[in-house]
Amino acid sequence: MPDFNARKSPFGLSRLLIVCGLVGFLFIPAGVGLADQPLMVLADAVVCERISNFRPVNPAVVFSVSQGEVFCFSEFDPVYEKTAIFHNWYKKDKLIFSMRLVLSVPKWASFSRVQMRDADKGPWRVEIRDEDNNILKTLRFSMSD
Amino acid sequence: MPMEQLFLLFSGWRWQDVLDIVLNAYILFRLYVLFRGTNVLRVLMAVVAMWIIGRSANAMGLVITNWVMQGVITVATFIIIIVFRNEISGVVRTRSFSFFLWEIPRTQINTPVRIITDAVVKLAGSKIGALIVMPLKTGVDSIIASGVDMNASLSREMLVNIFWPGAPLHDGAAVIQGGKITRAGTILPLSQNRHLASKYGTRHRAALGLTEQSDALVIVVSEERGKVSLVKDNQIHEVRDPDKIETLIKQYTGGPEPVKKMRRQTRELLVAAMVCLLCTTGLWLSFSRGMETLANYDVPIEFMNSDKKMNIIDASASRSRLLISGARPLINALTLDQMSIKISLDGTAVGKNKLVITRQNVQLPPGIRLKNIEPDQVEVTLDAMAEKRVPVQADFSGKLPDGLIMTSISVIPETVKITGGGLTLNAVTTVFTEKIPLENLTTSGFVNVALVMSPATLRPDEKHKKVQIRYTISERKSNDHTES
Repeated sequence: MPDFNARKSPFGLSRLLIVCGLVGFLFIPAGVGLADQPLMVLADAVVCERISNFRPVNPAVVFSVSQGEVFCFSEFDPVYEKTAIFHNWYKKDKLIFSMRLVLSVPKWASFSRVQMRDADKGPWRVEIRDEDNNILKTLRFSMSD
Repeated sequence: MPMEQLFLLFSGWRWQDVLDIVLNAYILFRLYVLFRGTNVLRVLMAVVAMWIIGRSANAMGLVITNWVMQGVITVATFIIIIVFRNEISGVVRTRSFSFFLWEIPRTQINTPVRIITDAVVKLAGSKIGALIVMPLKTGVDSIIASGVDMNASLSREMLVNIFWPGAPLHDGAAVIQGGKITRAGTILPLSQNRHLASKYGTRHRAALGLTEQSDALVIVVSEERGKVSLVKDNQIHEVRDPDKIETLIKQYTGGPEPVKKMRRQTRELLVAAMVCLLCTTGLWLSFSRGMETLANYDVPIEFMNSDKKMNIIDASASRSRLLISGARPLINALTLDQMSIKISLDGTAVGKNKLVITRQNVQLPPGIRLKNIEPDQVEVTLDAMAEKRVPVQADFSGKLPDGLIMTSISVIPETVKITGGGLTLNAVTTVFTEKIPLENLTTSGFVNVALVMSPATLRPDEKHKKVQIRYTISERKSNDHTES
């Protein structure tokens, strides 16, 4: 008798767990887990003097306007599905330039750039935002003589 | 018709106007009493006469006369202050507070002549030389300024003591005003009269010198002969009978009938008071019943009773134009700080508030009337105080030395709390530091810098008025310029 009970009890518990699992699964709203999952992960973002071979060169926080251009480089790894991001360039608190960049799976690097003139000297920032306008990263730098 | 005009002139008086006239007439009267008998008053009268001549000349179109009179009056004002400084300071120094406000002095009437006579007889009997000055109407302050201020009560012993041989002040003259010895040891101006009898010495010459320039009575006691002389109006009267000294002094100073003299003085003061009242009334009428003049003034708007938690961040107008009217002299004398527009902020709320400017908000000096206000309403934007935490960004200027690159910075603290108007704070996303010059940065390090609030109405947290910027500087890599 005791042996029989001992053999039967584990089978009953596992069956109970399966049933509970199935019932619980029915109550989970469809797509909850997928919605929370980000479409991409920002691996790296810098402001740099130029781009060479898809890599940023001389990332810095102060740029001389005599160099003519400044770049914002962002790298996403992984990218789960095709999406887009924005590079918003601000001088002080004023939006100067916004660029939409498309990202493709499985990983993607993209950049935007602005021309530097004498009148542009001062503090700048680039906000990297996703399609839902969430800020992924803010990069701050200065343009100087 | 003239009766109607007269009625119009005196109609519509307020109790304040009457008080205004009486008060100023009294001030004028007090000035007269203060300077009565001094040369200052005579010169002032001359200045007033010149002013009247100048105004008349202006009315008649006499250009040069008017111009000359104006110049003379300006110069005379300075001359009065410079020439009569002793007399003016004498009046101010020797008078008590009550004298300035209500006391009326009687010229030498109250002088105890008996005491002076006793002292003079005693001095003459002891052959002690003495010189006693009794100023009358014109005063002597502008003629004699030397000596020692005494302001001592008059007594026989005091007078004898002053002239006692060897006493420090025995050589000069003593001045007696009212019941007091005001000054002693004074030097009198000597007469230049060449016909003075040889029996008279320096004391008589000095007494004569003073009476040549004033109406004062001077009593001289001769040291050699022990004779008493009364000097008045350039005349030396030797008194042979000591019993007559008192009578003669009374005759020269107050006369034998002080009551009669008192009445004359009272009459004179009453006439002066009436003249003061008439002058002030005339001045008041010329101000208030003169030609009506219109004028425009841009007056600043002041806001009162503002809630401590709220700030005014904008107003549609900071000034309002007031159209006012009044007599021309009043309008000409008007200055901006005499007018104000005060608006209460009671009952206002955050955001835009329309406030009406009414007559009750405008303060004007008496006699000035308000005709119009433009604009008559002002829109005020109020903002409640709030706090916000914002990131700090370094603001660099200048140029890094060649070959160097600033690769990273960190700001400590990264964010600061700022206080200011809620509406203003909404627009603020970053706080910047003051300019950090790059020229001197060659190696990694840190710098402490202040924050710049923009707009200036914002205030940083007291603890974080300065932040630390840590920077990393490295050599620039020289890669190829290929761009993909």
